[in-house]
Amino acid sequence: MSFRTLEWAAVRVGDALPPLVIDVTATVIVAGAIATRDFMPVHHDRDYANAQGSPDIFMNILSDTAYSSRFLTDWAGPEAMITRIAVRLGAPVFPGSVLTYTGEVTATSRSGAEGVVEVAFRAMNDLGEHVSGTATLTLPAG
Amino acid sequence: MADSADDDAFRAQLDALIGAPVGTGRPSVAPDPVNLPMIRHWAAAFEDRNPVYTDTEYAATTRFGGIVSPPLMLQSWTMATVEITGIRERGGSPVATAGTSPLSVLDDAGFVGTLASNSEFEIERYLRPGDVISSTTVIESISDEKQTRIGRGHFVTWVTTYVDAAGAVVGRQRFRILKFAPAKTS
Repeated sequence: MSFRTLEWAAVRVGDALPPLVIDVTATVIVAGAIATRDFMPVHHDRDYANAQGSPDIFMNILSDTAYSSRFLTDWAGPEAMITRIAVRLGAPVFPGSVLTYTGEVTATSRSGAEGVVEVAFRAMNDLGEHVSGTATLTLPAG
Repeated sequence: MADSADDDAFRAQLDALIGAPVGTGRPSVAPDPVNLPMIRHWAAAFEDRNPVYTDTEYAATTRFGGIVSPPLMLQSWTMATVEITGIRERGGSPVATAGTSPLSVLDDAGFVGTLASNSEFEIERYLRPGDVISSTTVIESISDEKQTRIGRGHFVTWVTTYVDAAGAVVGRQRFRILKFAPAKTS
């Protein structure tokens, strides 16, 4: 498997990131919750979620931010460093839905030997906007 | 409707919470140092194939110089080890919490609902296996009452500061929730 890091000088404002599409199953939600050490029952126990008024278990926030970071570094590559990420939380994600992350470059700048890239992104599912966010990454710029 | 003297008294109660610790007030120390098995578990769960997280040889060739933790795992390292028995009875709380929450002032005023609204991270450096992380969380701000689509409420922001064994800040998280009065259905 080969990995490529973006060349900062080639990044342009308006560049679109390749979408990240997650086919969300109960396994996806439970695996994410436990891997982030979040044992709140609403993320793995449907009976408990029902009793809380939710139609099903739903994705935890730490999975939202985890997928956001994967979406960014799948595009930017292994040398990229995420220095800031901010998400606003919206519609929930239940099993059986498809979650799609899209985003674009909003600014670039240079800071010493590093190139800085600002990205705006969102993740949508059948219920609407699940997260919207902004992030800052740095890339080696020689 | 409360009169303005009551409003002022309530605002003073909220202002008194700014800077107050969330939790025990003592730093939460990670039960384990940053480690490759937990990183591998995380990377598998999110199908994140970034080689700097799990490929020792590849990671050594990058600017990180070796394996690093996924930056958004920052929040997971210092979380308490769950106590499975009794989790339902504790309302889903992973561990028994001692004392009352500083936010009980809002619950007592009828703002009993909680909805997460924003999560923001600043990452100072990527963590490496062996790093022992601890965190402290304080309330940073509480908004005035706002009318939202789910009811009246106050936005509460707390900030968690993560430090390494040397006390250097490795990252911060701001987390914002809405404490709201569920709208009455009539």
